[in-house]
Order: sequence, then structure tokens, then C-alpha cells
Amino acid sequence: MITVKIALRSLARRKSRMILIALLVAFGTLLLVFGTTLTRSAGIASRSSIIHNFTGDFIVYAAKSREIPSPFAFNTPLPVVPNLDRLKAFLLAQPEVDTIVPYAQNYSLLSLDLKGSKVDVPFIFYAVPPAEYAKTFANVKMVEGDFLSSGPGILISQYQNDHYEKRYGVRLKVGQDVTVLALSSGGGVNAYPTKLRGIFKPLYYENVFNYINFMDMASYSQVYNFTGVAAGSLPAALEKGLAAAQQSEDSIFALAGPAGAPIDTSKLTSESISGYTMVAVVLKDHRTSDVVRARLAAQGLEVKTSPWDEASGFFARVASALEAFIWFATGLIFLVVAFILMNTLIISIIERTAEIGTMRALGSEKSFIRRIFLAETLILNLSACLVGMAVGLMLVLGTRGSGLPLPDTISQYLVGGGPLPMVLSPWPFVTALVVVAAVSFTATILPIRLATRITPLAAMNDR
Amino acid sequence: MLGDTRVDALRGVSLAIEKGEFVAIAGPSGSGKSTILNMMGCIDNPSDGKVLIDGTEVEHLNDTELTRYRRVKIGFIFQSFNLIPVLNVFENIEFPLLLRRNLSRREREKTVMRFVEEVQLSDRLKNKPNELSGGQRQRVAIARALVTNPLIILADEPTANLDSATGHKIIELMKSINEVEKTTLIFSTHDAHIMEHARRVVNLHDGLVAGVESRE
Repeated sequence: MITVKIALRSLARRKSRMILIALLVAFGTLLLVFGTTLTRSAGIASRSSIIHNFTGDFIVYAAKSREIPSPFAFNTPLPVVPNLDRLKAFLLAQPEVDTIVPYAQNYSLLSLDLKGSKVDVPFIFYAVPPAEYAKTFANVKMVEGDFLSSGPGILISQYQNDHYEKRYGVRLKVGQDVTVLALSSGGGVNAYPTKLRGIFKPLYYENVFNYINFMDMASYSQVYNFTGVAAGSLPAALEKGLAAAQQSEDSIFALAGPAGAPIDTSKLTSESISGYTMVAVVLKDHRTSDVVRARLAAQGLEVKTSPWDEASGFFARVASALEAFIWFATGLIFLVVAFILMNTLIISIIERTAEIGTMRALGSEKSFIRRIFLAETLILNLSACLVGMAVGLMLVLGTRGSGLPLPDTISQYLVGGGPLPMVLSPWPFVTALVVVAAVSFTATILPIRLATRITPLAAMNDR
Repeated sequence: MLGDTRVDALRGVSLAIEKGEFVAIAGPSGSGKSTILNMMGCIDNPSDGKVLIDGTEVEHLNDTELTRYRRVKIGFIFQSFNLIPVLNVFENIEFPLLLRRNLSRREREKTVMRFVEEVQLSDRLKNKPNELSGGQRQRVAIARALVTNPLIILADEPTANLDSATGHKIIELMKSINEVEKTTLIFSTHDAHIMEHARRVVNLHDGLVAGVESRE
């Protein structure tokens, strides 16, 4: 008790220096509490918006792909996902899976009429099954038209349309005929006439999705020739011959027999071959992701998986990068606090040499001196820490209802846009307390060593 | 040691002080007065020789043992009073009792008040040292030295920072305490008027006992 009394009154005697230290500790604590709450909240929000709008809990892609596909990046050409029907059947049979959405990403040109002449404009897009995609990922808001429910075609973002007008002098209107120009796998150019079905605004990550448009998968298959003859419509003998040819090269000659007889093409039906380059899998519970991925890997479907954060690349790491920056800034502040505190304590010890010597002469053990200085530091720093935590808590609570408003650019990178919903957690507070206690102990090591070296002779020498 | 030079503050001093004595260690500056008090007070060790207090050879005790020995057996009065600046009069006097941790709060209060009255500071209990005069501060220091009922009280030039009249009053107070409490009281001084109050005066010169005068 006497140590606390001496500590408290000694702090009061050195008010100005101690207030400076307290302010720094309080600011550091506030930064740590509010900053880590913000980044943790941003991490949760960005994870939620990425999983529920772009990647699902994980993405499935062709095993032979040399790159991990990302809905946020255009690293085409990507190989088409093999065994899509079996893959879909397997995934939908898993009790943990909520829904799946296959899609492809690609780019082409749109050939448009401009006052009697043609102009080609770039067109980056997702090729999606419109109904499935819109049901799973509500990541756009239609400004005009519909999400390809009125028929096959394309959608463009409002920003893209503005950009076309600014750069190329053309502005597209819903219902307008457009021609998609794309390089086919054979090296030729496919021209596919279609319609603009709608204009949308992305709801998240505008800085990426303002530039990405949509095309329905049926049109995509036409543009890139992902269409073939349905196996069921082939003559039975030919189908048998083809199956045998797949087993052995020698069997190919079987096709020269009855299987090679003329085919009645009027009886053939076409089949859309999958052009999908990835499948987003949304789970009922994110924690089951590893289990489902492991189960899928054992199926031998020639596919690989990538978790949401890997598939979304940079955007999943923005919150972590910001958190690292906050830790760095807080670390710097506490380093400064530790140095100032250490120097202040050393000066205080020099000033109080006679006082310490007197206490030692009167019978105080070294541990008593140690306790006084430790108490001074802890009282000062923990009080300042509590103030910082209280201010941090008020800020978090104050912004919890409506979310923390952020400048649009920051918000877009951090959580995909909009105010940041703040999540109150005890961990930033516990962390701040541990950090302040650790800084306090560390900063007192040297001063306490100096203080306990003062002998009772110092009291006698104080004339 | 003064830099690299060895300085013998005391040279072959042999001195015995009986229990209950009121002794002055006299001599000019540099004669070794403070050094001999420091050794008696267990805050300095002789490079050679023995210090025997109440049958204990204190030069063999380690730092912790010396600290405990001082706490129980020795009271100090310093030239510059050396009160703890953040504690008030009552708390300064109570401080050595708190270190001993063997008394209840009530017993501590009773003991402190007894010595507060003895040094006539009952009306200054709540004052901090910087609100007291030099004489009042030294009276607080005397009460603090007495409060644990030590075997010896050592006072290093207790009147040096006081005016002459106050100095005499302080020495008179110490003398009366010595008579009432029967505590051994040893003080150093270079003031001839002050040393006249002592019953025995040990004169030091250049680290040697130059003479011992008995005033009784």
C-alpha cells in the first residue's frame, strides 16, 4: 500500500512529463483497439462479400491450369473445367454444399455501328448461367434491362458504357444489336450477333467490376465454338465405334465398317460443351471448406481447388495489410513510449537518488524500491491504457449501428464498398492491455536496475 | 577510492560506545566523522578490521541482512533531513514501521502519535516536508529515527543545516530523548558549541582518534 501511495504521489509531482507519456500510451492504445477492431471487421466484411458475391467458399478449376483463376483477375486463356457434369453432381450431393455456380472469364471485342461505320470496343466479361448466377451472387444492381432473363446476350456496366462514350463516341442502349468478335481456338475470328440486354452497376469492388461485363453461357459457347453433337443423337454403331476408338488406337478402323456409313444429319442434335473455367462453391458453413475440398480431391475429376482468399488474391489481403500497418504504427508509438518512459524514469531516479538512499538506509529492501518504480509505471500506463480503451470502445460502439463511413476509394479496396460494419470483440482490448503491460515492464528494466544499485550511502552524501 | 587514488578515511580507529551513551564524533571536514558513522550504521564496510554491534560482527553480513539489521537496530538522522518528499509528517514518521510490518494500523498510529507529541509536531501532521521549516523537518527526522525504538541512533551533522538557536534546540531534544528513551545516540559535528551538549566527545583528526573527552 505504501508503495502505491509513494508511486501515485511521485507521479503527481512530475505531472507534465507523465501527462505526455500518458497521452502517448492512450493514443497508442486507441490506435491498437480501434485499428485492430477496424481491420478485423474489415477482414470479416471483405471475406463475407467475396465469398457471397464472387468466389464462394472455394473455387474449382482444371488441374492442368498453371495459374489459380481469380474472379478478380483476367489471366486467360484458362483451361476449361473437365468432367463438369460429374463435378456438379458430386458437389451438389455433398450435404455441406449450399449452391454452386460455374462461370468463365474472357475478353473480346464488340463491333458497334457508329454513324454508318463500324467501331470495335474492348469487352471483358464473365460468361455465366444467368439464372444460377443471379440467384447465388447478388453483386450487381440493374440500372436498365434485366439480368439476361429476357434472352441471351450481354450486359455492360454503366461505367463501361460511359467509358465507351468518352473514349469511342458510342453509347449503347438496352435492346441494341451488337456483334461479339472473338478469336477462335483455330486462330480465326468468330463474329456472333447478339443483343445488349441490360446495363448494371456493381455493388462491390467497383474498382474492378466497373470494367467487367456479362455474357450468357449459351452465347459464349457460340462465340468460342463450345458446341458439339449430342452423343445420344449419333447412330448407335458410330457411337460404339467411337467408344472403342477411345479405348484403343487400333479400334479406330472399326469406324471404317458399318459405323462409317453415311449419317443422317437431320437426326443429329447439338450439345453445348462446357466452356466454364471455374466453379464457385458456396457452403452452408465455411468451416467445412477443407473437408469438402479434401473429399473432392479424392474423386479423380482432374480438378484442383483454391480457397476464397487465394482466389481473390490482393483483395482478401487488403485488411491484413492494413492490420500489419496498424501494428507497425502502434509498434513505433510504443517504442517511442518505451524510450521516453525509460529516460523519464532514469531522470527521476537520478533526481530521487537521496530519497532512494534514505529509504534503503531506513531498511527498505531492493524489492521495495523495485515495487515503487514498477507501480509508478503500471499505474501511469494502465490508467492511460484504460482511457485509450474507453475512447476506442466509445468509437466502436458509436459506429456499430450504421457502420463506419469510409472514403469510397478506401471502402472499395477494403470491403468492396459502403460503410464498414464494426464487429466488437474483446481481443483488441486484451491485446492492448498485454502490449501496454509488456512495454511497461520492458521500459522499467534498466531504470529499476539503476535504482536498486543506489546504496544507503547516497542518503549520507546528500548534503 | 577517489578516482584511482586510495584514500584511508579512517586509520586504525578503535572505539567502544556503551549502550545508552550520548556521544559526539567531532573533527574538521575530512577527519573521518561520516565514515565512522556509516560503518556504525551498517551502510559502509571497513576495508580492514571489525564493527561489532550488540555482539554482531556486521562486516560479515550480506546486503539483505544488513538492510534488515538497519531496519531493526539503527535509526538515522541526516544533515539534510532526508524526509520522503511525497509523504506528510505522519507518513514520514510511520514509514520505518511500515517496513517492519509487525504492527497493526492502530498500533502504528499510537506509536507515531507518541513521538509526534514528543517532538511537538501534533499540529503539522498533514504537512509535507516542503511546508515545514528546517527545525521542524529535523524534528520529523528525529521522530522517524525513534519510532522503531532502535538500539542506536546515528545523526550525521544534524544541526549543520540549521541556524544556531534551532540547532541547540534540536540537540537538547536529542539529549532529552536519550535520557528518557535510553537510546544510544551518536552524532557527528564540527561545531564546538553543539558538541558541548554531548556527554562524551570523540575527536577525530586525519582518520585517527585524536582524543576522547568525557563531560560527566
